[in-house]
Amino acid sequence: MRKIGINLVLAVISLISIAPFYILMMMTTQRSEDIFKGEMFGPGDYLWENLLTVLRSNFLRSFWNSTYIAIATTVICVFICALAGFALTKYEFRGKKAVLAFIIATLMVPGQIGLVGFLIEMRALHLSQTHLPLILAGATNAFGVFWMVQFMKTYLHTELIESARMDGCSEFRIFMQIVLPVITPAISTLSLLVFLGSWNNYLLPLVLINQESLFTIPLSINSLGNLYRTDYGARLTGLLIAIAPLIVIFVLGTKSFIRGITAGAVKG
Amino acid sequence: MSTAASAETARKAKKHTRYLIPFRIWPYLFLTPFLALYVSFQIYPILYSFTTSFMSWDGMGKKTFVGLQNYVTIFTKDPFFWKSIGNTMLIMLMSTPIVIVFGLLLATFLFQLTKGRSFFQTINFLPYITTPVAIGLLFGILFDWSSGSVNALLLKLGMVQEGINFLGEPLSARIIVAVIIIWKYTGYHMAIYLAGISAISPDLYEAAKVDGSSPAHTFLKITIPLLAPITMFLILTDLIGGLQMFDEPRLLFSANAAAVGGPERSVLTAIWYYFDVTFAGFRFGYGSAVAFTLFLIIFVFTVISYLFLGRRERE
Repeated sequence: MRKIGINLVLAVISLISIAPFYILMMMTTQRSEDIFKGEMFGPGDYLWENLLTVLRSNFLRSFWNSTYIAIATTVICVFICALAGFALTKYEFRGKKAVLAFIIATLMVPGQIGLVGFLIEMRALHLSQTHLPLILAGATNAFGVFWMVQFMKTYLHTELIESARMDGCSEFRIFMQIVLPVITPAISTLSLLVFLGSWNNYLLPLVLINQESLFTIPLSINSLGNLYRTDYGARLTGLLIAIAPLIVIFVLGTKSFIRGITAGAVKG
Repeated sequence: MSTAASAETARKAKKHTRYLIPFRIWPYLFLTPFLALYVSFQIYPILYSFTTSFMSWDGMGKKTFVGLQNYVTIFTKDPFFWKSIGNTMLIMLMSTPIVIVFGLLLATFLFQLTKGRSFFQTINFLPYITTPVAIGLLFGILFDWSSGSVNALLLKLGMVQEGINFLGEPLSARIIVAVIIIWKYTGYHMAIYLAGISAISPDLYEAAKVDGSSPAHTFLKITIPLLAPITMFLILTDLIGGLQMFDEPRLLFSANAAAVGGPERSVLTAIWYYFDVTFAGFRFGYGSAVAFTLFLIIFVFTVISYLFLGRRERE
C-alpha cells in the first residue's frame, strides 16, 4: 500500500516535470493558428513545415556556433583545470598554499560582476564581435580546479606516479598517459558542467555580440521569437532543437552530472 | 616479463633521466595556463569593474572620478535596486518552501525505491539543465493571455469565462516566476537531498527501528535534523540564484521588449537591473557599483549562513 502511494507521488511529480516538454513537442507539430486555438495536447501534421521555416533562418548557423564554442571551451577548461589540479595535489612547491587559498576564496565570487571590465578588455584586445571572448571567459573555472584537486586527492595514488617516474617518464607524459586515464570520471563530470554552462550562457553573448552571424543558440532563440512573432510553431521548433542536444547528453551522463552538482553541497 | 623487455625499459629510463626541464619547475608549468587565463580574464575584469564603480562613465567618453557617490546613491535614493532585492525575496517566499519540501519528500521516497531510482532522477532533473532562455520563452507562451496553453485548457474545461492575464499583473507575474523556479529546481533539491540522505549512516536508522520509532518519527527526529546543513546550503543557493536570475524572467516578457522587469517592475531581479542600467542605459560606473553592492549582499548572506552553521555544529 505504502509502496503504491510512493510510486504514485513520484509519477505525478515526474509528469509535471516533463509536461512542458511534452506540450513543446506537440506544439512543434502544429500550425500557429491551431496553437492559438489551444490545439497543443496532441500531435499535428505541420512538423516538416515548421522545421523548414527554422532551417531557412539563421538558426543552423547559431547552432554550429554554439556547438563549437561549447566544445572548445569544455576541452580547454577541463585540460587546464586537470593540469592545475595535478600540480596542486602531487607536487610540493613554494606558493602552493597561497594558490589553493586564492582559488577557494574566489570560488563564490559571481563572474557577472566583472562583466564591465571584461567587455572593455575585449574591446581593447580587438576581440569584440568574435567568439574568442566566450571561450576565454569559460576556459578557466575555479570550481573545476577545486573539483580536480578533490578527486585526485582520493583516487590518484602517488605510487602510480612515482613508479612511472622511475621508468623515466617525463612529468608531462605522466600527466597525459597516467593521470588523465585515472581521472576519467572527474573529467566527464566537469565536461558536462562546463558544456552546459557554455551552451546555456545568455548574458555574456548578449552583452558582447550583436552581429547575427555570430549569434549563439540563446541569442538566436530570442531573435527567432522576434522574427516570427506570430509563427509560434516555428519558434517552438527552434526551442526544441536548441535543447535536444542537452537532453541527449544529460540522459547519457546523468550519474556523473549529478555527482558534480551535489559535490559542493554534501561535503561543503 | 622477458629480460629483453626489461632491458628495453631500463634503456628508456636512462634516456629520460636527462631532464630538459628541472623537476621543481614542472608544477609551475602545470599551473601557468590556469593562473594566466584566470587572472587575465576573470580576476582582472573584476578589479577593473571595481575601480569603475567609483567613476561616472558612459563606456566611451571620459571617466570622471566620483568617489563613493554611486554607492551613496544606491543606498539612499535608488528605489529600483531595492525593489529588485525585494522582488527576489517575495518570489523566494513563494517558491523556496515548496522546493525544499518537494525536494526532501522526493528524495526520501526515491531513497526507499530499489528499482527505477535513476530513471526518476533523470526525469526530474531535466528542467534544471534546460536552457534558461528556452524556459522563459516556453512559459511566456504557456501563460500568454490570448493564446496561452494554460488559458486554452482553462477555457476548454470551462473553469474561466475569459483568459487570465497571468503576465499582466504584478502578483500573478511573480507567481509565474515562482512556478518556473519550482518547476526548474525541485529536481536539483531532490538530487542534493538524496546525496545527503545516502550519506547518513544506516546504523542510525537501524537503531531507531530497534527502539520502535515509526517511519514518520524517524524522519522528523533523524533525517530532518541531520539534513539541516544541506537545507541551509540550499536556501542560500536559492537566494543567490534568485538574485542573479535573469534569463527566465527577461524572456518571459520577450513579447514586450520595452518592459523592463515585467508589470510595475514586479519581477525585476538585481542582475536584470544591473544589465539594464549598464548596457541599455550606458552607465558603466553606476552599473558596476550595482554589481558590487549585490556582491556585498550575497557575501553578507553567505557569512551569516556559515556563522549559523558553525554555531549549530558547536552545539
